[in-house]
Amino acid sequence: MFGLITRRLLTAIPTLLVIILASFFLMRLAPGGPFDGERPLDPATQAALQQAYGLDRPLWDQAWLYVSRLVQGDFGPSLVYRDFTVSELIAQGLPISLMLGGLAIVMALAIGVTAGLFAAVRAGKAADKVIMMLATVATALPTFVTGPALALLFGLWLGLLPVSGTGDGVAWLIMPVVALALPVSGAIAKLTRAGLASVLKQDHIRTARARGLSETKILFKHGLRPALVPVASYLGPAAAGLLTGAVVVETVFGLPGLGRYFVQGALNRDYPLVLGVVTLYAALIILFNLFADLIYGWLDPRMREG
Amino acid sequence: MLTRHFPLVIVLVIVALALLLPWLMPWTYDQIDWDAVRAPAFSGSHIFGTDEIGRDRLARLAAGTRITLMVAIAAALVSLIVGIAWGATAGWVGGRVDEVMMRIVDGLYALPFMFIVILLMVVFGRSILLVFVGIGLVEWLTMARVVRGQVMALKQRPFILAAEAAGTPPITILWKHILPNIAGVALAYLMLTVPQVVMVESFLSFLGLGVQEPLTSLGILVKEGADDMDMTPLGLLLPGAVLVVLLVCLTVEGERLRDRFS
Repeated sequence: MFGLITRRLLTAIPTLLVIILASFFLMRLAPGGPFDGERPLDPATQAALQQAYGLDRPLWDQAWLYVSRLVQGDFGPSLVYRDFTVSELIAQGLPISLMLGGLAIVMALAIGVTAGLFAAVRAGKAADKVIMMLATVATALPTFVTGPALALLFGLWLGLLPVSGTGDGVAWLIMPVVALALPVSGAIAKLTRAGLASVLKQDHIRTARARGLSETKILFKHGLRPALVPVASYLGPAAAGLLTGAVVVETVFGLPGLGRYFVQGALNRDYPLVLGVVTLYAALIILFNLFADLIYGWLDPRMREG
Repeated sequence: MLTRHFPLVIVLVIVALALLLPWLMPWTYDQIDWDAVRAPAFSGSHIFGTDEIGRDRLARLAAGTRITLMVAIAAALVSLIVGIAWGATAGWVGGRVDEVMMRIVDGLYALPFMFIVILLMVVFGRSILLVFVGIGLVEWLTMARVVRGQVMALKQRPFILAAEAAGTPPITILWKHILPNIAGVALAYLMLTVPQVVMVESFLSFLGLGVQEPLTSLGILVKEGADDMDMTPLGLLLPGAVLVVLLVCLTVEGERLRDRFS
């Protein structure tokens, strides 16, 4: 297992480097710069600013400088939020994004696995068909439709939940997390249902039945674990989906998370901010894929590598 | 047919409406009716009323649906071409080449791709052409994997081996014997790619990075509706409902097709 972890972490380094460099040069191809405001600055000021942030140097020099600072944990200054470093902005935004994403995946797993289990036990019956239809609908619900629709229903019409911003307590989290979790829970329900249906047909389940074990014991002890293997391999893409979904949810509900900084930063040409957020997202996704692989190995011992 | 393929029928009805409505209606999607700004539904010639600057909602809905579907089909075709080319090459050549090509696909799967697309949109100024090239380039990965698997399986089949033994050039084998055999599966995944692309396009448009005014798309309409929902909920609910119905129906039909071929 440690072999797997170290190998994956080592291959993560070149992957991250490629992502950082690709984003770096993409950003620089963009027309416009971070200091374009409503009123054009006079050329001397513009040049001074460029020089102060090292933007007048050759691109490769800047790229090298950025990476070598990054290795030391320095994300550089934000070019638009002048009094902040990128690290400070990330420190503000990351907890909110992580909380949204983390709660959403827990909720999606809880709903999805339960629904899938229920449907598989009643395979072919009406309950199965209804649950699977709901799951299909759920997977097709884009966050940017459910988010505003939930806000309209529970926020504006019923007045039960806050429409935007973070407040005291947890009420502000409910709608963003539900909007994020719905499509993922639908996909997990389908995967659980399909996995369990095929596992329940296998020999070891028949053996367990022949030994006279109770249905619940067969289901939870022998059926569920191998059935969750496809769910585990879906967790990586799901995490990436949740991170992009979080961008929308943060915009819709006015939450000061990382996603908003990313979109704003890209529009404002705030190079270090965008690079910092992309790097962080990439690292998170790589970490989560590794984590999903470990769960995968735990669920299916045949998949464990030396 | 009608009941079994009910979702497909709904999609076709939506497509037909999106294409025909502009000819049947007195208003175009960008025309401002100065006498009826924020008109409620069923007022005069505006069936669903007008938006905050007096443009007919139904006309905008039809125009938005048209653009969204157009982008979706174009991007899905881009993903089909790239995916088949990549997957067929990897599956046919096999060995080292296959391993490297599939490693690249695995690697790309793990990337925060949406963010690269967002960067692309910002960089190259949001042209509609770029919207679908960008999305198509993201969505080809699954297609490549599926096609590779199919080609690898076909390669062992007697009729392919016979063609090879007869000295048929590989290009001819790929074109005449392999492609027709993977067409069904490719079609199923093409159909599943379309809702994916619709989702990505609307997502980008929602963030203001996709299709630009005065053109409109379902994503833009949802965004406009969300910004204005405390005044007129219809602005959000109409395009939102069309989008969700399209996505659900396309997914259901696509999955059915996929299950038939696998």
